[in-house]
Amino acid sequence: MNSGPDAASRTALKLLIQQLPGASEINTSVEVDSPSAIDQPQLRSAQIVEGSAMRARKVPGVSRDITSGFGAFLDGAQKVRLVARHEGVPLVLGITSAVVRVRVNRRLTTWGHQPPKVEFKLYLPLRYLPPLADLPLGETGWPIVDTSKADANGDYPSAHPQVLLDRAIRAIDQQRELLEDQIAEAWCSRNEAPLFVDGGINRSAVVASSGCAVGVIKSHRTLYVEDDALKTVLNLGVNERSSVFRVSPRLRNSVMSWYLRQRDSHGHDPLWGLVRVEMTECDNPAERADEISRWVLAETRPLALPDGRWDKMSYGVRDCEEFLRAIS
Amino acid sequence: MSDVTGPLGRVVATEKKPNTPHEFHFWTAIDSPVGIGTIVRVDGAQPIDGQIPHVYGIVVEGFSYTDLQTPMHDVLGHDGSPSAAGFAVTERAEIRLYTAAVLRQIPEEPLQPVPMGQVFLAQEEDVQVALRMDGYLREGAHTGIPVGVYRAGGTDAVIYLDADFLLGPEAAHLNITGMSGLATKTSAVEWLLASLFTHFPEEKGSIAAVAFNVKGPDLCYLDKPGRVEDTDEKLYEKMGVAPHPFTQVQYFAPYTAKGITLNTFRNNEALLDNVSPLTWGLREVLQFAEVLLNKDDVDAKADALIDFIKENVLDKEFSDPMLSKKHRVQSFADLDAWFRDVLQSMENKNGESWRTHHVATIRKVRNRLSNISTRCAGLVTDTGAVSDLPFGSFADRAVYVVDVANLEEDAQDLIFARIVSKLREHLERRDLGVKHLVVFVDELNKYAPTDGADTYVRKMLLDIAERGRYLGLVLFSAQQFRSQVHRRVVGNSGTALFGRMDADELSTPGYAVLSPATKTKLATLEKGQLMVRHPHFTQPIFVRFPRPAVMQGREGAEKYPQATDVSVHVAVLRALRPLDPSISLTWVQELTALYTDDEIIKARNATLLARPENVKAYFAAQFRKIVSAQSPVRPMAASIKSAPDDDPYGF
Repeated sequence: MNSGPDAASRTALKLLIQQLPGASEINTSVEVDSPSAIDQPQLRSAQIVEGSAMRARKVPGVSRDITSGFGAFLDGAQKVRLVARHEGVPLVLGITSAVVRVRVNRRLTTWGHQPPKVEFKLYLPLRYLPPLADLPLGETGWPIVDTSKADANGDYPSAHPQVLLDRAIRAIDQQRELLEDQIAEAWCSRNEAPLFVDGGINRSAVVASSGCAVGVIKSHRTLYVEDDALKTVLNLGVNERSSVFRVSPRLRNSVMSWYLRQRDSHGHDPLWGLVRVEMTECDNPAERADEISRWVLAETRPLALPDGRWDKMSYGVRDCEEFLRAIS
Repeated sequence: MSDVTGPLGRVVATEKKPNTPHEFHFWTAIDSPVGIGTIVRVDGAQPIDGQIPHVYGIVVEGFSYTDLQTPMHDVLGHDGSPSAAGFAVTERAEIRLYTAAVLRQIPEEPLQPVPMGQVFLAQEEDVQVALRMDGYLREGAHTGIPVGVYRAGGTDAVIYLDADFLLGPEAAHLNITGMSGLATKTSAVEWLLASLFTHFPEEKGSIAAVAFNVKGPDLCYLDKPGRVEDTDEKLYEKMGVAPHPFTQVQYFAPYTAKGITLNTFRNNEALLDNVSPLTWGLREVLQFAEVLLNKDDVDAKADALIDFIKENVLDKEFSDPMLSKKHRVQSFADLDAWFRDVLQSMENKNGESWRTHHVATIRKVRNRLSNISTRCAGLVTDTGAVSDLPFGSFADRAVYVVDVANLEEDAQDLIFARIVSKLREHLERRDLGVKHLVVFVDELNKYAPTDGADTYVRKMLLDIAERGRYLGLVLFSAQQFRSQVHRRVVGNSGTALFGRMDADELSTPGYAVLSPATKTKLATLEKGQLMVRHPHFTQPIFVRFPRPAVMQGREGAEKYPQATDVSVHVAVLRALRPLDPSISLTWVQELTALYTDDEIIKARNATLLARPENVKAYFAAQFRKIVSAQSPVRPMAASIKSAPDDDPYGF
């Protein structure tokens, strides 16, 4: 989305121009899309832990008066603002935030034990810029993240502006995930009511092993099914879930997961109304999956409209996003 | 409920909805005690000239909305079933957004748009500052007259009117409007008079009120205690007014056409001790003949004859060579005799005119003037007997009620015109007995309408409204439809009260300055609530006032039923017994047995007017001496010489 520079962008621009005399302002502050949009879609196999084959299961006990066991919602947000360039090198301001919104008497309010986290950082490829005199920059105390460091293989990114921009975006994405994990861990450490986490829960060992966090994933760039299982999942009817399977990424923690069709996809994209739910490992995955599925289905009202992802998004998550949009 | 001492909202402004020097917007928690009419205080964050700005405002509009983009989304979300909406596990995010009109900014200069800041519920001292009441509630210069209590959240603040702007000389007059039966207009005026009599500063002089009771029995029991609830008592206590009826009330009413009983709802025998007849004679009426005479009917020639009568005939020894005798015209009966003589003399001489007045004009004027005593029977006496308000000896803090509710329109107009004129004359001469006088007139729609004939009464009301404040003559007026009252009457009312209003009335241009929400509140006001406009208040304020501590009309009418038609003896008994309780019906009947009803009524009226110490003697002395009849005594015939006993022929 293009818009005029906001206050934070103007501050960042001012600091950068002071430090980098050759820096040029971008006429309209550019908010860059999330890097997830540029990930390649893929299929991955997963170990089924409920039965021997992937099949569709009607979630029992679903009626319009089902209640939800979730007591709070967690979401994070990020803003990637390309505020200036220095000889073509992108200078990026990243704003990351995360919040838990607790439900009290059917209304959502910010969790009092952990204030929402909001961080401003400048993402600069220092390798391709003149030395900066003042780190961090100015009175703001905004830290600088070097996006031109060597990767695990010791390779430095090229000076290609798009590569450097992707690096900044990835770093901001990781920063947002870090804030989400920190606030989720704080929630789990207090053993509060079940927390509806927007996204996966397997990045943090604390969260992944806690029974009080449930992850609900809306995007399906990676589908954990193949062949017939894929057909089963894509053909799930409304209020049906898939068999529970285990997701064990190499660098992340193992959790149990299943697909759930929240809305009738007839006439829509096959992924319409489809979410993937993650929960911690347990001994009775089928029963627990049914219970959590009912909770997730209960959260489909009220609609998350006007958000375009309303078919998959719960209203609590939309509330978190609106909150973060207001404060960051 | 929110903590009312802490901030209850925050000022917000957007490019589309910016704040201005006269208006600002703020949001609150959903359960905050803010509503339309609530007074709030904004504490600015940045000092101006070293002073943190405080802005006082009154809520004039409210908005609530959710993050829903279109209602259709809610319908879809609940499958078109409203009952399903109750099962949603989360309520949508919702906002309470209010618009407030600025009452005052401190510092007042430079006048700037309202700054962002926290919003607090106004406390009692804030209300005083916001409404500029601090200017007239100072120690030693207190001219505040409580009109009601402003209530919001935990705040109870007395709202004062400035006596200098209610009774003059700065501004004056009060007008109250609202729906019949629901706006409690009469109650509001009764309450305000009680407050005025209690709090009007002694150093400003004496004050009294004349109230015209134009309908029903509402004003007929001002001296009788009414029902006062606990909540009302608290309001009385808060405003420092004793919940008691008026201690000095005098009622005036004409007689019925028959002249036997007073034509008032308050003619129950138990209430007659402070009810006086209102009767006028020819002199009093002729001064205001134009009130009763139709201008289309009475032309310049007739006017000239009436002036001639006023100048040369009335109360004078009048003689004319043409007339059969000298005349001294003091009553309608005398006037009719004079007219008869004039017309008879003209007929005898076969003349067409007398002293330049044509016979047709004389006949017409005779007809119209004689008709007055018929049209205003009970008020106008043929005999010239006058019983009037105590002009010249009005008492401080007294109420004089003139009951014209049961009279014909002509008689009402005559009473109103003459009494107001007399009040004005006495106030001009500073000899009324009080320095300030409030005149209360209801049904202003009828007496001072926007359109219609330019009547004498309307002219008088305009005159009071425009010039009365310089004399101490203050108009408290009431009506159902303010829009239909002459603009100069309501426009000159410095203070305006509004009870519950009719939606049609609110849609008229006069209410365009009010926000839709304020209009809605006005249309749904409870009894005992008023909206107040006063010169010191930059915006209308909503207040509560207590039920007046006087007996209400309906209750009084039930407790003291109106006297039915009675015999002339009973009427005399009822009239005179308050003056002398020893008077009995038998005494009246024996004393008056030989006299006509007219003579008895005349004697009663004279006694009531004189209010003598020895009522019985005075009443008896009014009757003409009647010599009791004596049986004729047959004279004894002179005896004839008696015949001798032995005279056989009788000789």
